[in-house]
Amino acid sequence: MSSPTTQLAPTPAADQSAVAAGLTEQQQFLTFSLGEEMFAIGILAIREIIEYGNLTEVPMVPPFIRGVINLRGAVVPVVDMAVRFGRPAGEITKRTCIVIIETSDLDPSVAGSHGQQMGIVVDAVSEVLEIPPADIEPPPEFGARIRIDFISGMGKVNGKFVVMLDVNRILALDEVAVLAAMSAPERGAS
Amino acid sequence: MNLDDALKTFVIESRELLESMEEALLRVEQSPGDRDLIAAIFRAAHTIKGSAGLFGLDHVVSFTHNAENVLDMVRSGELGITGELVALFLQVCDHMGLLVDHIEAGTEPTVETHARSAELVGSLKTLAGRPAAEENTPPVRHETPLERDNTNYGEGVESDNWHLSLRFGADVLKHGMDPVAFIRYLTTFGRIVTIVTLTESIPGGPEMDPECCYLGFEINFRSDADKQTIESAFEFVRDDARIRILPPHSKIDEYLELINGLPEEEMRLGEILVRCGTLTQAEIDAALATQAAARDSGEREPAIGEVLLAQQVVQPAVVDAALQKQRQVKESKQGDAALIRVNAEKLDEHINQIGELIIASAGINLAALKTGIPELLEAASVMNRLVENIRDSALQLRMIQIGATFNKFQRVVRDVSKEIGKDIRLEISGAETELDKTVIEKIGDPLTHLVRNSMDHGIEAAELRLARGKPAHGTLRLNAYHDSGSIAIEVSDDGGGLPRERILAKAIERGLVKPDQVLSDNEIHNLIFEPGFSTAEQVNNLSGRGVGMDVVRRNITALRGSIEIESVEGRGTTMRIRLPLTLAIIDGFLVGVGNSSFVVPLEMVVECVELTDDEIAAAQGRDQLNLRGEVLPFIRLRDLFGIPEAPPPERSEAEKLLLASVDEELAFLLQPIKRENVVVVNYAGMRAGLVVDMLQGEYQTVIRPLGAVFNGLQGVSGFTILGSGQVALILDIPGLIRRVADSESRRNRQLTKHRITE
Repeated sequence: MSSPTTQLAPTPAADQSAVAAGLTEQQQFLTFSLGEEMFAIGILAIREIIEYGNLTEVPMVPPFIRGVINLRGAVVPVVDMAVRFGRPAGEITKRTCIVIIETSDLDPSVAGSHGQQMGIVVDAVSEVLEIPPADIEPPPEFGARIRIDFISGMGKVNGKFVVMLDVNRILALDEVAVLAAMSAPERGAS
Repeated sequence: MNLDDALKTFVIESRELLESMEEALLRVEQSPGDRDLIAAIFRAAHTIKGSAGLFGLDHVVSFTHNAENVLDMVRSGELGITGELVALFLQVCDHMGLLVDHIEAGTEPTVETHARSAELVGSLKTLAGRPAAEENTPPVRHETPLERDNTNYGEGVESDNWHLSLRFGADVLKHGMDPVAFIRYLTTFGRIVTIVTLTESIPGGPEMDPECCYLGFEINFRSDADKQTIESAFEFVRDDARIRILPPHSKIDEYLELINGLPEEEMRLGEILVRCGTLTQAEIDAALATQAAARDSGEREPAIGEVLLAQQVVQPAVVDAALQKQRQVKESKQGDAALIRVNAEKLDEHINQIGELIIASAGINLAALKTGIPELLEAASVMNRLVENIRDSALQLRMIQIGATFNKFQRVVRDVSKEIGKDIRLEISGAETELDKTVIEKIGDPLTHLVRNSMDHGIEAAELRLARGKPAHGTLRLNAYHDSGSIAIEVSDDGGGLPRERILAKAIERGLVKPDQVLSDNEIHNLIFEPGFSTAEQVNNLSGRGVGMDVVRRNITALRGSIEIESVEGRGTTMRIRLPLTLAIIDGFLVGVGNSSFVVPLEMVVECVELTDDEIAAAQGRDQLNLRGEVLPFIRLRDLFGIPEAPPPERSEAEKLLLASVDEELAFLLQPIKRENVVVVNYAGMRAGLVVDMLQGEYQTVIRPLGAVFNGLQGVSGFTILGSGQVALILDIPGLIRRVADSESRRNRQLTKHRITE
């Protein structure tokens, strides 16, 4: 009994160009908001987007792990992006979504990250955009308010910058899992 | 199938063959006269050699070839089975395993490996008692005289004709010889009565080489010529063809031999006989007609052999041989068909899917209950039952017999008993008991530990045994059986038993037990599972270092199993391991705290009691309960997990649904009255209470692993998905208790420190 699924529906413009070019997929990004800020993730990593809900909290884990959900029989951990970036958790609204990400094993340094599914909580999903490589700037040295290694670049969209995220870094298993193990005794002692 | 796949298969098969070879070797030591075992050993070596040759693994071939030579001598009775021979062949077996390991890893054998090969080959040759030079001389062909030997027993068959059985070698045509020419030549001094062409060995289209000869012929030949003449007809092809010539009225034995010598192919008995020339087609037709008539009249269909016998067409012995051959062919075919090699991953995937099916059907059940439509309820319950059946049969797929694991201990027992100089025999029973493959894989190490322990500490030296009136040889028993939903594996010995007093003394010395403490036998026995506990006076490389038993217990606990000891001093010890049948699905007990649901493994639940206000008051703020006069420490799951107090109102609907799925007997516990319950759990001799809001009854729990993210989590062993689609946590009771105990002792330590600094 999974929550109703929102199919990845690219905007008509993006859709047409994707059909026309076929291989331009890696240039397509899902944009979403966290608080005031806009972020983007390459759509290849995204499995689906579901409504927020039916979340089971897991005790004794770091606060950025919101809990787990049942995704058609698979138990998928859900990470709160805002908390992962060191901000207060966003309020749950009607637009709050869980984006299901499949971290790829493209990064050989992250062992065992093959095909791990994880959900991320975002305040609202906006659209799928095409950002040509020419419009992507390297990440700035500082000033982004989030860890620099989480950012893969800055995309220019309608004259504004969106932060393009490196999900494999953010959800890197070694980091997320080690944190879970470390926080256990800390919490127990408190 | 590419070569890599084929090589993988070769590795797997070689391992299996080596395993069976080892087993046969160990058994042949007990019964040296068993021809079947010797044949099995030879076959294993031979098959490995043959397959290795296909892959061009020359070092394996040459090594195995030497082993095979010796085995051949054993088979022919030139060499007897001795302890020395078995010991050497066990080493050969190990070494072949090593070579196979190299092949699997894709590495070249190291210099040491080659040296070892040479060393073993040297020993093999010494054993065979012949110099290396002789080794490659081709075996002398013993030409059996074809003269009819009337002194031999056995009646002649009716046939007045010669019988020729020809199998031309594949290269005959390449050597410029035409089989037809030989057959034509036969007609110059006789008459071919019947000729049967055997085409079975012609391969399918692409593999067939038009320049090869694949044919064989069975010829019924009438001639007055002597066998010398007939034989000379085939003079030129004698080297690359198999030619058998049976004179008229040959002995039955010779026919039997011929039948057995036929290529392995499933053919009807009648055809075999016809081909052999024992019968004519007319005779066989008549026999078939009788068989058909019998069938028409509704009688039991007599086997064709019986029909032929009844008509006294053939001698019984000939029919028996033919029937046996037919049966062999059939059996080997059936053996192939009865087993399918399945990728373990595919199987796991399948079982995962079934796990999901169970969850989905629980959801449907819940929805059906909600609607209350009778037809839907009916359909849902039927489906539920079917799903349960499917689950049972799917879990059965993962079940394998424990026999193979037990048999490995033949070797362990043999080696260890030689090493420590005790005569110990291994008895195995219950080898056909089945349990989950994962469990079998993980039980090997703890079992080895227990077996070694029993051999080293349990079984006494021969003199002591005789003094105690026991047979000089010790007996170690491995047994397995199913026992109420779990499996029990026993390792028992008829040795000295656990020394009660020594264990107690040691435990007091180590401060594990207070000197004035009174312990039951069982409690004393369990002391040996304490870390670092050993009563052995001296340490050897087998056991006695005190590492081990605690590891054994931990390994078994990790498999959700338990271990118990039964021991009588002077009589022997039995270690009994109890394991769950499967690791994928457990019986759980569902409890609710606030909105969250948790599953406690049902086997750990002892009882459930109500936590009344009186008792809370009596506890004076301590997390303890007076359970019929005993102190029961409890854990408040709500506090431990930080679960919010009042369930939000919109959840009550879901809770009602959960209530509906609960057993009727338990329904009274779920009255909306606000009260807390204590689930009393028992594990590894410890008792504790878990304070929960709701008891929701038994629940078939499909375990979902924690996954990489939550691996570090203590107190939770997995997830499961409830019928409502909610995820629930499966509690790891020992972990939870340890966690609470640790954090409390840490807090107490900190308090002490504070006091000191103050």
